[in-house]
Amino acid sequence: MSEAPEVTRRLSWRRLYSSRPVAVTIFALVLGLFVGALVIVTTTAAVLTSWRHVFSSPTSIGHAIKITADTVGAAYRAMFTGSILSPGQFWHSVTTGQGWEQTATPLSETLTYATPLIITSIGVGIAFQTGLFNIGANGQAVLGGVLGAMVGSMLHMPMFLHLPLTLACGFLGGALAGLVPGLLKAYTGAHEVIVTIMFNYVIYAFLLFSVLSTPFQLPGQQNDISRTIDPSAQLPPLFGVASGLRVNYGIVVAALVVLFAWWFLERSSLGFDFRVTGANPTAARASGINAKVVIVLVFLISGGLSGLAGIVQAASTTHYIDGGFLIGNAGIGFTAITVALLGRNRPGGIVWSSLLFAALGVGGRSMQATTGIPLDLASVIQSAIVLFVATPVLVKEIFRLRTAPVATLELATKGWGS
Amino acid sequence: MHRGDKGRGRRLATTLASASVVLGALTMGAGALGGAASAATPFKACVVTDTGGINDKSFNASAWKGLQDAKKKFPSMKITYLSSQSSSDYVPNINNFVHQGCGIIVTVGFLMDQATAAAANAHPSQKFAIVDDAPKTKSHNVLALQYETDQGGFLGGMLAAGMTKTGTVATYGGMNFPAVTLYMNGFVAGVRYYDKTYGYKVKALGWTPAKGACSLATCNGTGSFIGNFTDQTAGKQMTTNFFSQGADIVFPVAGSVGLGSIAAAQQAGKGHSVMWVDSNGCIADAADCSWMVGTVAKGVESSVMNAVLSAARGTFKGGTYLGTLKNNGTALEYGGIPAPAALKAKIAKAKAGIIAGRISVNPNSYPAS
Repeated sequence: MSEAPEVTRRLSWRRLYSSRPVAVTIFALVLGLFVGALVIVTTTAAVLTSWRHVFSSPTSIGHAIKITADTVGAAYRAMFTGSILSPGQFWHSVTTGQGWEQTATPLSETLTYATPLIITSIGVGIAFQTGLFNIGANGQAVLGGVLGAMVGSMLHMPMFLHLPLTLACGFLGGALAGLVPGLLKAYTGAHEVIVTIMFNYVIYAFLLFSVLSTPFQLPGQQNDISRTIDPSAQLPPLFGVASGLRVNYGIVVAALVVLFAWWFLERSSLGFDFRVTGANPTAARASGINAKVVIVLVFLISGGLSGLAGIVQAASTTHYIDGGFLIGNAGIGFTAITVALLGRNRPGGIVWSSLLFAALGVGGRSMQATTGIPLDLASVIQSAIVLFVATPVLVKEIFRLRTAPVATLELATKGWGS
Repeated sequence: MHRGDKGRGRRLATTLASASVVLGALTMGAGALGGAASAATPFKACVVTDTGGINDKSFNASAWKGLQDAKKKFPSMKITYLSSQSSSDYVPNINNFVHQGCGIIVTVGFLMDQATAAAANAHPSQKFAIVDDAPKTKSHNVLALQYETDQGGFLGGMLAAGMTKTGTVATYGGMNFPAVTLYMNGFVAGVRYYDKTYGYKVKALGWTPAKGACSLATCNGTGSFIGNFTDQTAGKQMTTNFFSQGADIVFPVAGSVGLGSIAAAQQAGKGHSVMWVDSNGCIADAADCSWMVGTVAKGVESSVMNAVLSAARGTFKGGTYLGTLKNNGTALEYGGIPAPAALKAKIAKAKAGIIAGRISVNPNSYPAS
């Protein structure tokens, strides 16, 4: 490192090609896609057969390479065109002026998918920044969805009252679900990881109870399905119902949440208390920060945001809740944990990582529909990216990244508890 | 760090980097070529499964099997599926297929009712078939596939009543839905009919019908339910309870939960058996065929296949298909435990009576024993 510092600053490639968090994340994405390609290659029968022939006639190696590249190319192409833009369709729209709905659908789907994910991940990220693991974000989102959908479907009033009230009740439901673990952590020392995980199951049972009980269950139904949220409490599509695009005003809510989180963490004194508590609880106590209040408040805010995500999901896309709401593979509260880690718990980072996860999920669907490669491959890629991000040293060694000028190789979290 | 290590690391990095560049180039290059070449595609049949996925050995698997059967009869057809991970996936999955130009989109289950109806409304030229549901708003481009499973359940009840040694049989469901309880209601009706007609006193546990008739829209009553379609341990527990109450044949209407009943019968030993549901248990779960007296089947496969073929051949019509004993939309299939020929004759007679409308499948038509 004999270059003068100003030279280093001027050459942006050199700066990028160092082990900064952004560079590590981008290279982790490349590695994740590489791992995904390996999985495709080793699980697609046509590819394996073509390579088997290479053993009997070595000249067929060109054919095998072509099959391999075609298979992987088709999968990733479907992922890209299904989640961002299909160049062929775009060109068709530009030249003929028609089919814009179909051209915009992939991006609209990615944004729709990302909206609740951004909100939940911000909630989880705020808890992480305070040194607390909120594994209960999913239950909080479910309770927020249930409470919000109750208000949205069983009360009737004009939209300017109904929609804000519905969203507020979603926040309230999540905050309630976060309050209990927060109080238990602050005043009894019960570990928040255990309590929030267990609380998820309590809330799932309550969800099933509520959609199977009389006032909330859809009248005339014996199935586990709720009443439909009133149009006055729904988040309408951004470009109108006629556009056919599902991207909706939930994205405005998500943008406001991101702005709030940035202001709260970076500019407000309470946010400063949160971060100090996360960085060094002992120092925080010594400087007069009331740790108990901080713990309860952080769970209220984190839970509330998760609950808001739950009602945004219900009020924007399905307009009802069923017994499987956000359960199992759809548990955005669990995805949010990895998204927050990938975004290093910062609002800006979370927006990007949510968009990435949404694009992989939406693109994975289109990949399955066109190439038959299972949607689960998207989860493999997502997981691989998170693994590589969590091991920056490995990424740094593989790509021979320069050591960052300042010590930015930080850990995303510190591990359990404290 | 040694020099050698460093060299190897750099080589690995170069290999990986060049591999990804090559991959990227191929992807984009192929993309430029393949972008516009989507015209003149063969007929495509697409299915959106519920959260069970195509490997659930039940419902969704049967729908997918229906597509595969259709492809055998119409080889130029392309078939594809999308699994829903939750109810919020229904709409995007259906839209995905609409945009892909599927000749027919098959959706599975009553939960997809709203999403299917909305998509059918927005895309009037797109053909749909929905399994086991009748959308409230009728459309000319939706074919609702429904099954009067109480008719098959009735024959199952007769078989159980004729085969029991203890004089007690039982049934339980996954959840209290009409699609489930219709089976149970028919089962109880079959047992009561057998008692009344042939002078037995076989008791049926697990379902008490309410007054009035049962239909696909509402089927009221009280009974034993697991609360889901996945918890086999609960199914085993439930079945063991029925055995201890004196039952020796149990009819689980709960998808894969029925495997728990098989386990309970195996534990209780010879003389205990299970009646399978939906798709022939001796095929779906051949290893356990010797513990099954029979299967009350639902003709999902054949009706989906016929719907797909009609769309492929241009004879598709919207409306409702009602699976009955007459058109094999529901049926009783015998299992690994042989039934006496005399009993089979009684069942065949009752089947003819139901088809002719002479025999009611409403349990309230017969005295409870």
